[in-house]
Amino acid sequence: MNIADDKLIINGQEISSRLFVGTGKFASNELMKSAIEASGAEIVTVALRRVDIDNKNDDMLSAIDSDKYLLLPNTSGARDSAEAIRLARLARAASGINWLKLEVTPDPYYLLPDPIETLKAAEVLVKEGFVVLPYINADPVLAKRLEEVGTATVMPLAAPIGTNRGLSTRDAIEIIIDQANVPVVVDAGIGLPSHAADAMEMGADAVLVNTAIATAADPVMMAQAFKLATEAGRIAYKTGAAAESKMAVASSPLTGFLRDE
Amino acid sequence: MSKLKINGKEKDFSHKIPSCLSELLELLEVDGATVVAEIDGEIIERSKFETTKLQEGQSIELIRFVGGG
Repeated sequence: MNIADDKLIINGQEISSRLFVGTGKFASNELMKSAIEASGAEIVTVALRRVDIDNKNDDMLSAIDSDKYLLLPNTSGARDSAEAIRLARLARAASGINWLKLEVTPDPYYLLPDPIETLKAAEVLVKEGFVVLPYINADPVLAKRLEEVGTATVMPLAAPIGTNRGLSTRDAIEIIIDQANVPVVVDAGIGLPSHAADAMEMGADAVLVNTAIATAADPVMMAQAFKLATEAGRIAYKTGAAAESKMAVASSPLTGFLRDE
Repeated sequence: MSKLKINGKEKDFSHKIPSCLSELLELLEVDGATVVAEIDGEIIERSKFETTKLQEGQSIELIRFVGGG
């Protein structure tokens, strides 16, 4: 299999990388720019916030080449469907982009997504022509319900946002992957390249990583490590794992030993 | 009384409020090219910043993209 021929398709659009990256928490725009480049990602998430009138910072968007990357605005900060819908419309007005990472997280401690509000918002936004990529808990029933209302993907969490704890929802994600007819993007909680590889080996279509790259000692090197891990996991999944065995199966010949029997 | 509510905070313009959104952004030294605005909950397209007149007491939200995951 040639990895170049193994394309991810979302909403009919070919996406060149199965690693999506977030742009939060980078120490500088320069570092963010270099890390995104090293990650090989095409899909890059951004958030919407009020302009700080008293402290006008540089515009981070100027550091992202919009010809090269597909910006994926999120609705972070939304506590219910109405707030998410408002943010979605603002994001579209600001960027002209109708792709959206839908997230509704009323709980400030674990930032767990509200399934009911997410589904409600998804229904409205799909009808308004948004390409909706919903961030959800790893709930296979919810994933199917979202797919039925027309979301372009489902994005179950591995662990709560920013926790770097890896695939704590493994069993449920396996079911989601098994049942999904839309791409499954494992989002949130992926802390190491091995977690990304693990998700890809299980058959996830993509992974979304932010904190693990942005807060690494060297975000550019870590971005590269995630790129390689995501690709490795995907190739392994497409190849199919070799059989497991309880007993040892020698790799070297069991004949011709240098001894007399 | 020459007040607008901007991003949740009342702002007093000593003589009169700016005539349009573009003028407001200029006054606040905010680059309009990267901003989206809402007036009393209604989204204003960037192309309409110059033609959108402001009235006293309106609530204006100025929003832009920031880093996020």
